[in-house]
Amino acid sequence: MSDNPSPAPSHDPLALTFAAWLTRLWLAVRAIQTGVEKYAGTAVSDQAVEIDGQPNDYGLTASSAEKTYGLENYSGVPAGLRSSFESEPLMPGFLLEPYDKVLGPALIALGATILLGILPRSSLFLLGLLYISLTWGLILLGQPGQAGVAWLGVHLILIVLALRLMPHNRLCILGKW
Amino acid sequence: MVTPGQPRRNTLDRRGFLARAGGAVGAGLVLGAPSIARAAGSPNDKIQLAIVGFGKQGRVLFEALSSVPDITRKVHFRAVCDIWDYNRKGGMAKCRALQKDQPDALPNGYVDIDEMLAKETGLDAAIVATPDFWHAPHTIRCLEAGLHVYCEKMMSNTIEGARSMVEAMERSGKLCQIGHQRRSNPRYRYTLEQLVRGHAICGQIVNINGQWNRSVNASRDIGYNPKLTIDEERLRRYGYDSMHQFMNWRTYRDLSGGPISDLGAHQIDIFNWFLGCRPKAVFATGGHSYFKDREHFDNVMTTFDYDTPQGEVRAFYQVLTTTSAGGGYYESFMGTEGTINISERAAFTNIYRESSAPSWDELIARGYLKRQAAPAPAGGGAGGGAIASYESEAPEAYQLPGELNLPPHQPHLVNFLDAVRGEAELTCDARHAFESEAPIYWVNPSAREKRRIELTSEHLDA
Repeated sequence: MSDNPSPAPSHDPLALTFAAWLTRLWLAVRAIQTGVEKYAGTAVSDQAVEIDGQPNDYGLTASSAEKTYGLENYSGVPAGLRSSFESEPLMPGFLLEPYDKVLGPALIALGATILLGILPRSSLFLLGLLYISLTWGLILLGQPGQAGVAWLGVHLILIVLALRLMPHNRLCILGKW
Repeated sequence: MVTPGQPRRNTLDRRGFLARAGGAVGAGLVLGAPSIARAAGSPNDKIQLAIVGFGKQGRVLFEALSSVPDITRKVHFRAVCDIWDYNRKGGMAKCRALQKDQPDALPNGYVDIDEMLAKETGLDAAIVATPDFWHAPHTIRCLEAGLHVYCEKMMSNTIEGARSMVEAMERSGKLCQIGHQRRSNPRYRYTLEQLVRGHAICGQIVNINGQWNRSVNASRDIGYNPKLTIDEERLRRYGYDSMHQFMNWRTYRDLSGGPISDLGAHQIDIFNWFLGCRPKAVFATGGHSYFKDREHFDNVMTTFDYDTPQGEVRAFYQVLTTTSAGGGYYESFMGTEGTINISERAAFTNIYRESSAPSWDELIARGYLKRQAAPAPAGGGAGGGAIASYESEAPEAYQLPGELNLPPHQPHLVNFLDAVRGEAELTCDARHAFESEAPIYWVNPSAREKRRIELTSEHLDA
């Protein structure tokens, strides 16, 4: 038996701070990259096939696809899901457009504030609300969305955990909020 | 000229101008070498274009043109003609959207082609995508009005109509491209020029197999919104007994050639083009297997016999409108050393080397072919249910070295526009199209009469 036993985790300030930072980092990365991916697209380029070392005269091409990012690629709600939402009677149609526009920037902004520790409590709360809105949408879609509902539920558990660890979340700006 | 509404039947009457179609213009010699198809005087400005018929196929052609780079610098869609308000207004709106940054973005709309040709004196060319029985009258009127014409295949629902189009093209001196779009497809041209002829990878072609299998659902009658029905007087004026007939003209004998014409024409054209000659006989069978009320057979199977410089070739073609399984649509050229299955769809395109053929490794190294994954072992092994000694060794599978990543009709339309500018020769003018289409007109008579038809110049010459 050790003479200097480690303190119980709930009373270990350093471990609790690390736990807070890890949940903060995970939620931030998850939100930021999800938002950034909404600006992702694919640039397909056709290269003339070479025959006998020369580009062929017929116009035969080989395609190569490259992932690109740009404002012109932005799509908040994927097109497939969007058309499904439009046919849902409980989905207010007039909200779809603004929601589509806001979703990507909101994920990036909230992810950034959580990462930087700016208004951490409010940022986590708003991110939680955002995930709840996504959860509601997936519930509307029924069975195909059930795995997504569970996945978002895990996110929400992590947000609750991050809020619970907030007293140990150091290096914050306007940490009270 | 074909008169819509009257019974139209193929006859054996020798045309008066047949006598003029001798010498080098005779059978087979023109199948692969268009030469009379370049505009003499090309417009330096935009080509002023009319679309005659903005139904399903008209939209396909328009969409294919729309994605041509800088199309609005090359072409101005000036008029849309369609007897159905729904098609005409929709077509006009599409044109306006495409050329929104151009002056006169909205094309003029016409119900009647004669009115269009009388008023639109500045037109250079027309795309004709009306039902088959209107192809000849519309094409001839446009040619006689001084327009170059891109007309959808089949040239006509009758061989007489098709002959009259060849005659009108040559009389007018204008271009007349027929919509056998595979003739401009880089994959097909490469396959013919480099693989079949250049490197003769098939060896001696001895058989051809082609098909287009389509499901019942894809073959059902086309419906329409009753609120959009064309009034009876207009329908009758343009040769239709009813709105149903207008929407489903492909199923009526007086208006179309049926599935062998709609679908088979594209592929039987490839048989004749690749072989460079026309068949000497046709025997077909068909029936009303499922769509029992239709005038045309719903399923047709046919064989063609060829005499080629290499030897005899037998070709089988089937068009099914009741079953989609069985590999979709393709043309298969089966030789002693290799087989080329080619299709507009890359997924249906495969090339096979017979195990006894010379190696193709050099062709692969030079980029002429790509090798596919290794084939399954021949015979299926001990538990495969096959008797290995009865089976041939599995041929190696190859692919074309590249693809066409454009709408399949686009190269053919671009070829037409380039020819109008005097910058290219048509790949499928009306005479060449006729040489290739002529045997197809004898499939339905053979199937109906249940007899083999020996094809002579009387059947096949323009």
